[in-house]
Amino acid sequence: MSKSYLEKVLQWRLIVACLVAILGLTIVLATTLGPAQISSLVVLKILVSRLPLVNGLVTPSWSIAEDTIVFQIRLPRVLLGILVGASLSVAGATMQGLFKNPMADPYIIGISSGAALGATLAMVGLAHMSMYTIPLMAFIFAVGAIFLVYNIANVGGKLPVGTLLLAGIAVSLFLSAITSFMMYISGERLHGIVFWLMGGLWASSWDHVWMVLPWICVGTSVIYIFARDLNVMLLGEEPAQHLGIEVETLKKVMMVSASLITAAAVAVSGIIGFVGLIIPHIVRILVGPDHRILLPGSALVGGIFLVWADTLARTIIAPTEIPVGIITALFGAPFFIYLLRSRKRSMF
Amino acid sequence: MSFITLKINNIACRYESTEILENIEFSASGGDFVGVLGPNGSGKTTLLRSISRTLRPHMGAVLLNEKNIYALPSKEVARNLAVVPQDSPISFDFTALEIVLMGRTPHLGRFEIESAKDLTIAKRAMKLTNTWHLSERPITELSGGERQRVILARALAQEPKVLLLDEPTTHLDINHQLEILSLIKRLNKEEKTIVIAVFHDLNLAALYCDFLILLHHRKIFSLGSPEKALTAENIKKVYDAEVLVKRHPATNSIYITLLPRRNYVSPSTLFLKGVSKGRSPFVIHIICGAGSGSQLMHLLLEKGYQVTAGVLNAMDTDHETHQHLGISIVSEAPFSPISCEMHEANLGLIDQADVVVLTNVPFGYGNLKNLEAAEFALENKPVLLIEEAPIEQRDFTQGEAKKIYTRLKSNGAIVLHSPEEVLPIIEKMARRV
Repeated sequence: MSKSYLEKVLQWRLIVACLVAILGLTIVLATTLGPAQISSLVVLKILVSRLPLVNGLVTPSWSIAEDTIVFQIRLPRVLLGILVGASLSVAGATMQGLFKNPMADPYIIGISSGAALGATLAMVGLAHMSMYTIPLMAFIFAVGAIFLVYNIANVGGKLPVGTLLLAGIAVSLFLSAITSFMMYISGERLHGIVFWLMGGLWASSWDHVWMVLPWICVGTSVIYIFARDLNVMLLGEEPAQHLGIEVETLKKVMMVSASLITAAAVAVSGIIGFVGLIIPHIVRILVGPDHRILLPGSALVGGIFLVWADTLARTIIAPTEIPVGIITALFGAPFFIYLLRSRKRSMF
Repeated sequence: MSFITLKINNIACRYESTEILENIEFSASGGDFVGVLGPNGSGKTTLLRSISRTLRPHMGAVLLNEKNIYALPSKEVARNLAVVPQDSPISFDFTALEIVLMGRTPHLGRFEIESAKDLTIAKRAMKLTNTWHLSERPITELSGGERQRVILARALAQEPKVLLLDEPTTHLDINHQLEILSLIKRLNKEEKTIVIAVFHDLNLAALYCDFLILLHHRKIFSLGSPEKALTAENIKKVYDAEVLVKRHPATNSIYITLLPRRNYVSPSTLFLKGVSKGRSPFVIHIICGAGSGSQLMHLLLEKGYQVTAGVLNAMDTDHETHQHLGISIVSEAPFSPISCEMHEANLGLIDQADVVVLTNVPFGYGNLKNLEAAEFALENKPVLLIEEAPIEQRDFTQGEAKKIYTRLKSNGAIVLHSPEEVLPIIEKMARRV
């Protein structure tokens, strides 16, 4: 039995390796699917030709149009899907661990309503918008909402979890009321706002990818560094402190990191529900509650899941696109219920 | 080898503005087993929380090896100090082994993964607490007792030099209580750890602790060895409960018996009642021993009679009952035969009594003088013999006791068969007086 624990680390690496392989396959397949018929082999060749070191292995045998479709249109969308799915899932897992609450999701402390207000304001109020205005406004308002919630809940340097949740709900309701009002007076722009709120990856370019990449990389790395501390936090705050965790510091660092990656994801994709709540649960069922595997596992599964959901969203009734949030809930929920029923052990 | 020291320097703690602890001062060093006692709300758990770096005292300091623990990094404190809480609600599927391995957290670097050495330490801790067979089971599926032992294993995996326990055995079966406390005691003595434990059960505390801290109204009421801290008087003041404190012959530690409040009537109030009525109380002298007189003693006192007794050996069950009830007795050193001196004192008490009762006591050469005393009494006052077993069975003097006993009977001593029969007869006699 003692051997099995050390084998666990090996097992973790194997799981990550498998998921990375599936992710690679997902990138190629998702980039292949679309209105223009391009074979997977060509897609693979185009992708390889763009990679450093190995680009000498293929000789160009494709048209410039094909290259543009794969590299400029489809690939950024797939990569953005991976980034958004990964950050929502990691943020969800972090919030669930931090709050010791299986109902927690990345939006629990008001990020989504902040972002929604920012995006709505941009769409209603600003006449001259560049493609970056909406993400920028969404991000600023999301961070503002977190800042507000954080300061309301912060009592004498401590961050009581209950107060944090309630402050999050209060701020969310308040901001949502303003958003609703903006929507009510928005006139013909209402459709755009509703579409944004449902979440989707339609506005994706390499610029969007580069915009969110640093936030997401830094945020997820910081969270992963504290993965073991998150495990200990599940024992409760006092026991965690008795095991040498600086609980208040950890809570703040985790809160800020999870919030920033969520804000970055929301800024470019709108409010995609379900992923951040359910992916960590699914991964927990598959690999157990240890955050050292749960976090990378959630990131990878979240990324894969969102790319496939988005692929479905843009192909199922092409050329019309469905908001990806509808797909994630429509297909994710039954699968989750199936996993829930097929397992006897408790969820969390 | 330098032992760890823990000093609590005049600390005071409060929640919000409510004072919970004041003027708490004591120190402990490696190998000490300290028990913290006190009624609910007296600040026991708060004391542990302030020592465990959870609740910062607003006055004073907690010094671990002369260093203020609130100035040390959390991790360094955790390498030296482990806590077993009262209750550990864990609602997620970590295995017992994973939980115990978390005890290694303060010893691991940020990116370090538990090594084979950590696993060995965790395994040892689990074997000690008898939980190794549960190692692959999810913690959520364990019983309360099993879980508490896993939590103790986690604390032991921290390799602490100070172990803080908050009512560690509350959820355990009696066998596990003793097993766990004995284990903690062993570690305490072998590895020279400091153990500070909050106890609910006074007897367990007395059995395992080297010294006890009795908290009352936020302050230390009494501090010292179990014998010193747990006197009936202290317990009465702190817990407002009437108890009997004895030394248990099997464990040689003090043992506390709770006296039920309902039936208990303080002897002093009864005497006062008798006096106010303006009649001198009817005095009954009891010759007893080995527990044969306790029941009678209670019966008579409840009815308001004055009772004396002798000669008893100190530490005899009857002796302790007498002492507790506050009645005059003549006593002899433990396990010694009755000396002439004490015999005479006994005769003195008999002289003042209205009636003498000889209980169903076994006779050896040591207490044969008590039979002679009964014979002396019979010369000028009634003597009642409680004969629950025939004298032959109680005679360990090869017939000598039997000889005197038979003589008593033939000279007019009244033979009864149970202590309950004594009361009506005495009542009749008392009315005549």
